[in-house]
Amino acid sequence: MSKGVGIWRCRGCGVGYFPERLLCPRCHGHEWAPDRVLEGVVEEVAVIRHMIGQADWQPRRIANVRTSDGQLITVGLRDESGPGTVIELFEEGTAPFGQAKPS
Amino acid sequence: MNAAIIGVGQSAYTRRPEPGQTVHTFIRDAVVAALEDAEVAPTDVDGMAVASFSLAPDTAVDLAWRLSLSLKWLLQDTNGGSSAMNMLGHAIRGVETGAASVILVVGGDATGLAGYGKVAANFNIATREHLAPLGHGGPNGVYALVTSRQMKQYGLEKSDYGHIAVAQRAWAAKNPFAVYRTPMTMDEYLAAPLVADPLSRYDCVPVVAGAQAIVIAHPDRVPKGRAPVRMRAHRASFNYDNQAGDGLQTGISTFATQLWQAAGVRPDDIDVASLYDDYPTMVLAQANDLGLAPGNDLQRFARVTVGEQRFPLNTWGGMLSAGQPGGSAGGLNGISEAVLQLQHRAGERQVKDARLAVTSGYGMTMYRYGGTAAAAVLERAA
Repeated sequence: MSKGVGIWRCRGCGVGYFPERLLCPRCHGHEWAPDRVLEGVVEEVAVIRHMIGQADWQPRRIANVRTSDGQLITVGLRDESGPGTVIELFEEGTAPFGQAKPS
Repeated sequence: MNAAIIGVGQSAYTRRPEPGQTVHTFIRDAVVAALEDAEVAPTDVDGMAVASFSLAPDTAVDLAWRLSLSLKWLLQDTNGGSSAMNMLGHAIRGVETGAASVILVVGGDATGLAGYGKVAANFNIATREHLAPLGHGGPNGVYALVTSRQMKQYGLEKSDYGHIAVAQRAWAAKNPFAVYRTPMTMDEYLAAPLVADPLSRYDCVPVVAGAQAIVIAHPDRVPKGRAPVRMRAHRASFNYDNQAGDGLQTGISTFATQLWQAAGVRPDDIDVASLYDDYPTMVLAQANDLGLAPGNDLQRFARVTVGEQRFPLNTWGGMLSAGQPGGSAGGLNGISEAVLQLQHRAGERQVKDARLAVTSGYGMTMYRYGGTAAAAVLERAA
């Protein structure tokens, strides 16, 4: 597990993206700098109760999150956070997850 | 006008294919049915377009070989739910320009549920790396989130989506090919188990094995006594917003005005609509983008236009009741139904005096929602 979620920041205009792009949607630059976003706000939540082809599936929660840098990403939630909750982000492999930020 | 849709055909649809039934056999059955319907000999076919998630490792030319078709025009489309609409546009233009004289457009899939699960988890690199490891549930999870956004933005309730599912089931009861034909009540819709909150069982398109085909040729080739179906206008969109929006507008929003202008008709002239219905949410989004919901009033469209007035929407039952044989063939369902309606051959489902239809496709869930869309206005030719 690594803290934050890796994003790709355009060296031309400074806007960060997730997932990775080849050309920047804003300025069409092609040079990127790696960066990380550490937190975001939950916008919507879904509980995945069934998975095609899997009989012993345990429900999982996923969420739309607006990161503190503006990216709109989908994360796995590791707690009961709902819309409006500020969460801290982390990665497992290439997948983004989040849980409520300790107050 | 020198190109028209002159015939349609489909295979049986089944939730669970029997041993020996493959995507190839379903496609063969649809092709045979479409050619018989169009009264076209296989030797007259000189063009083919195909879309399928489960044809691999075969490609379009392998399918031509298996079908014993020697061609001078060939296309394989990879745009999922809008593949059918794309292929329709290319095929019409192919005949109009003389690149081919008879083009077969076919789509089908037979992934099985396990195979579909693999497709859903490996839809593209973004899905494989950033969504599937979350246990996102494939498109069900993605459109659960889109549905929540739509409910918030438009003040919709769960039952509003139920009007789409219930109305389409009533149409499906009149379609012998539909996999689910038993009429459904709103109470049954609301009592169905949740799949991915807020989506429940009847919000999620049932995956089936099957195939669909249509035939494009000069209108003079239409079987005697039938009207050819012409395409008044066609537009498409790909990656319309770089996934930077909320997914509540589709790519149709980028071309709807042009589509209606090119067609020379208005949304309220339409007699029957086939809108791509992988989820009721996206039916409402496409109806909105096409201008079928005046004032962007999706609640009224669901409750009154569909729920009470039973505007002829997805009159074969839609994929939600008839089944989704892969996105590509699913899109061909809507086109085929529009053709049957415009040719006044829809039997118990026939919309009286149908003359104009709008059909749409939507698909390729790139990350947070679909990135491809296309639509056409079809007309019963005199």
